[in-house]
Amino acid sequence: MADFRLQRLPSTTPAAALGARILAIALALVIAGVILAFVGKNPLALGLQVVTSSLGSSFGLEDLGLLVIPLILTGLSVTVAQQIGAWNIGAEGQFYAGAFAASAVGLFAPLSGGWSLVGMGVAGAFGGLVWILIPALARAYANVNELITTLLLNFVAILLVYYVSTDAWRERGGVANSATPRIKAEIPEFWGLVHWGLPIAVLLALAMAGLLAFTRWGYEVRLIGSNPAAGKYLGIAARRHLITVMLISGAIAGLAGMLEIAGTVHRLQGGISNNYGYLGIMVAVLARGSSIGVIFAAALMAFILNSGIILQTQGLTTSTVLAITGLILFLTAIGDELSHYRVVRDKS
Amino acid sequence: MIDLRSLSRRGFLNMAAAGSASLALPGLVRSASAATALPAVNEKNAVIGFGHVGPVTDEGWTWSHHQGVLAVKEKFPNLKKVLEVENVPYSADATRTYRQFVSEGANMIFDTSSTGDFLHEVVRRAKDTAFMECNGHVLMDNLGWYYLAHWYPTYVLGVAAGHLSKSGKLGYVASFPVASVYTSTNAFLMGARTVNPSATCQTITINSWFDPQAAAQAGTALIDNGCDFLFGIMDEAAYLQVAEKRGVWAAMWNTDIRRYGPSSYVSSIIIDFKEYYVEQVRKRLAGEWTPTESLFAMGAGVDRDAWGEKVPADVGKAADAVRTKILGGWSPFVGELKDSKGAVRLAKGQKMSEMDLYNWDWSVEGVTGL
Amino acid sequence: MTEPSHRYVVPTGAAPLVQLKGIAKYFPGVIANQDVDLEVMPGEIHALLGENGAGKSTLMNILTGIYQPDAGEIIIDGYACQFASPVQAIAAGIGMVHQHFKLVNAFTVAENIHLGWSETPRRASAPALEERTAALAQKFNLQVKPSARITELSTGEQQRVEILRVLARKARVLILDEPTAVLTPAEARELFKALRDFVSTGNAVIFISHKLDEVLEISDRITILRGGRKAGTELAADCTPAKLARLMVGRDIVLADMRARPPGAAAVSSSPVLRLRDVSVLNDNGHTALHGISLDVRAGEILGIAGVAGNGQRELSQVLTGTRPAATGVIEIDGHAIAHANAADFVRRGIGHIPEDRLHSGLAPGLSITANAVMREYAKPPVTIAGIFRPRAAKALARQIASVADVAIPDFAMPIRNLSGGNQQRLVARREMRIASKILVAAYPSRGLDVGAINTMLRYIVDLRNAGAGIVLISEELEELLNLSDRIAVLYEGRIMGVLDNDRVDIDEIGLMMGGRLRGEKGAAHG
Repeated sequence: MADFRLQRLPSTTPAAALGARILAIALALVIAGVILAFVGKNPLALGLQVVTSSLGSSFGLEDLGLLVIPLILTGLSVTVAQQIGAWNIGAEGQFYAGAFAASAVGLFAPLSGGWSLVGMGVAGAFGGLVWILIPALARAYANVNELITTLLLNFVAILLVYYVSTDAWRERGGVANSATPRIKAEIPEFWGLVHWGLPIAVLLALAMAGLLAFTRWGYEVRLIGSNPAAGKYLGIAARRHLITVMLISGAIAGLAGMLEIAGTVHRLQGGISNNYGYLGIMVAVLARGSSIGVIFAAALMAFILNSGIILQTQGLTTSTVLAITGLILFLTAIGDELSHYRVVRDKS
Repeated sequence: MIDLRSLSRRGFLNMAAAGSASLALPGLVRSASAATALPAVNEKNAVIGFGHVGPVTDEGWTWSHHQGVLAVKEKFPNLKKVLEVENVPYSADATRTYRQFVSEGANMIFDTSSTGDFLHEVVRRAKDTAFMECNGHVLMDNLGWYYLAHWYPTYVLGVAAGHLSKSGKLGYVASFPVASVYTSTNAFLMGARTVNPSATCQTITINSWFDPQAAAQAGTALIDNGCDFLFGIMDEAAYLQVAEKRGVWAAMWNTDIRRYGPSSYVSSIIIDFKEYYVEQVRKRLAGEWTPTESLFAMGAGVDRDAWGEKVPADVGKAADAVRTKILGGWSPFVGELKDSKGAVRLAKGQKMSEMDLYNWDWSVEGVTGL
Repeated sequence: MTEPSHRYVVPTGAAPLVQLKGIAKYFPGVIANQDVDLEVMPGEIHALLGENGAGKSTLMNILTGIYQPDAGEIIIDGYACQFASPVQAIAAGIGMVHQHFKLVNAFTVAENIHLGWSETPRRASAPALEERTAALAQKFNLQVKPSARITELSTGEQQRVEILRVLARKARVLILDEPTAVLTPAEARELFKALRDFVSTGNAVIFISHKLDEVLEISDRITILRGGRKAGTELAADCTPAKLARLMVGRDIVLADMRARPPGAAAVSSSPVLRLRDVSVLNDNGHTALHGISLDVRAGEILGIAGVAGNGQRELSQVLTGTRPAATGVIEIDGHAIAHANAADFVRRGIGHIPEDRLHSGLAPGLSITANAVMREYAKPPVTIAGIFRPRAAKALARQIASVADVAIPDFAMPIRNLSGGNQQRLVARREMRIASKILVAAYPSRGLDVGAINTMLRYIVDLRNAGAGIVLISEELEELLNLSDRIAVLYEGRIMGVLDNDRVDIDEIGLMMGGRLRGEKGAAHG
């Protein structure tokens, strides 16, 4: 008598993971389709609309290209910290801090044109770095959990930006919401809406992947990240590595904030991050610790978010769209776990 | 251009006598000189898009715009598509939403809550689409804007507040320190000071147009500070409910929501976009649309609501007398005006233009908290 | 080995206290148990014998309700039972002391004893619980410190807490998983006496072990498992170690004396390559774990470290390899005092380290086999040249190590945690031997390995000794130490009780030293 059962493997192959993910997304779409059909929408037409709108036109592709920039960087920020075993839940706050610092330079520094952009870039990265400095030191020297410290600093950064954009730096006589005056230095666009932040983000992800895979430093970081005790066993300066990696993580998120200011929004305002910092955590989870994977995960996330907007223009309510988006991410996570399993057949 | 039927259904006083019908167009400020009209579109091929800041069920700002959308659908039943998106955030997502409208072939797009640069990003790249930005400030070849001269009915409510408030302390629940809020608080206090020259207006900013919890907290704080008349610029009724519970007066915005606080309710700044939207869409289809800047005059898209049931008849009468005066062409916004620091900002006898009122960015003496 | 005091006779007519019939349990890719029968009578000490991975622990986890069997029956006192959870098994009088203790480290002994126990008083102060605990300890003759936190206890003491916790809950069947692994011979004898007392009142003990001698000493009957199946049940009185070993591994094995040097092997150096002089070391909690230890290790010799686990072995292996600093004292390598201990520095000086818990410190479980194989040599050519890490060179090195270790690797990019424990240990050993030109510190190298793998591992160590390295072999298996070591030092509570030459060793003396008596106190102990 043959007997089938499930067997869990400790790790999975990339092919199985990809397959599980495709299945999960397909399943999510089928469920969403059934629900949509139930409420009287035509799921096939909607699906077609989503695909043609976002992938079938240069307009849609530009939207994805723009949206993917902050997602790559915040996802990369979280992924880089993960390499050394740290959870940077504060990419959101570092994004704000970077946007804040970059705006300060953009609004007030006596720099012009390209130099202003360079100054903003340095300030943005530095702002993100400063924002993770205390969590990094607290984790390295006092073993304070960075999950909590980075998370709490998010609120500080968000409120700081709210304060300056509705008070100290506010544009007088502004419109519906408060924001600073428009910052003159802008990152040039090279393809429709899409600015040079996209190649910068992609190159940064590739550079981090290279650093981690092809340097002695990267090897040590991965080793400590996988097992801190192994770092001690080998006599690696684990504390220095931890601080360095966390600062890099913060700087990347800060740079994302700068690019959003200088490339997309051009004004500092409350809600500038659009939750990119938190979405970065999801991107990192989807990327499964791979810096190159972050690029694709961010693209998938951008596609999902953009699909949400398209569906809303088709008369779906925000909550329906959120439910479908959540369903896709939820089933993807389950798919990832299930890819660890395989069916085996016993003969007894 | 106010819809009289709907107003009378709410027990509104008869406005026919007010002479509002004499305004053929809501207070047109100016139109772009160089712009040529976009070509006509057959109704069957036309796509019209609307982006809202909140949900259409908010019983406030977005609900009012949604009535305009319904009116457009009723008037032009053969439109190919009417796109409507709720909860458009003030972020780059707004750009994506409006770009999506364009990519679906929108011939005309209404941004009902001014997303500013995020909208203009799209306007610049979609030359064949007509854009209308509510509370906008920029005119382009294919972008116009429209808003309400809400300061006149607000002034009228201020007069009523001056009569009703015993302490002379008026409270204001504000969203952001932006022009609409400056104008609103200033007009409100100026109206009140015609009755009680020592009245003051205390403002709390909650950084949102729709946050019932924060609005309720702000209302409570204002009442705790001695305010006995609350006004504000919220898309919902939270502080009215607080006022009802605490037994103070309250005036609202957008729609008649007296049922949330029947004994506190004084009146509302009520708004109506139906006729305007129908007219704009008609022009676009007919090939007559050019970008314009419009401020709806009192009685033609913006007005005060019928007085609350507990408002004494003589107070209503006194305030309405001021309203009639304004409808006759009188402006209360004449110097001398001092700002909250005591400096004279408007010389004696000088009159503020509609655009001055629209772009007001300082508080008059007696308004605090902005 | 002492002769059992009586010849056990299976009582006729009595119902077995525990009966397992046809038990099967499957895990992904593994048949943990299949067709296993077991019968334990009242008054019996029943040993469960088998190699690592023979299915002993799984079978007992089924009996204690931790796992549910995929097939088969559990019959207690003649009634079929199904245990959905350990709580139900405990209620049926079945208690287990696990090899890895299930104690809450941050709690005191008294709190652990009373945790999740229906007889714990509702309003209990710490002194009241401690008083109750002391009374229980008295009753069952198990010495524990009721107010001590678990983290402060040695492994042996923790085991006593575990046993006390089970006995306090009125267990009638006490299951012990490798209980003597952490005990001195004297402590083991005391345990055995306690077990005899326990079964004399009609209770039963199931005693899991892979140590032949002690199984013969303590048990009445022995059930042998092999590859998840039952290989037989024998009366202990009818068995010899050789017979049991045959049943257990399915072949005859002999642990040979491996001290003999083949021709050409390096001689023992006259001067030590590694010396500890009055070295004291603190443990993770800041308590002194090693008290002023002095030790010499010479090239070409194996220095065995005997002692019950938890007496400072961990700290000793760490201080010898630079992963833990000495609080006081001097460490000399080749006559040079090392001022600031750093593991990387020790590696450069030719000191390798097979750590006791390889998954926790010697490996990065989530990283690839390649990344793990090159851990000791990643920083130098050919793996890293001018700061650039070269995955291709790393893989070549990993392939080389795997091939010498005789481990077949399907995919070097696979996380190393996917390998079996034995293969991991072989790779670690080979990795360390490559760099251990002077010293190899091997902590429990055979722990968790089956007999075949142990022989391979010990052969590695002997080869390295023959090549001229000094070996520090820390082990809890006396037999292993006697077979390999040239000298044996005994560690007890962070002190060296004495260093014995293997040629003149007296096992009883080692046992006494492990129990805390200094060398030469033997007579006094007997007197």
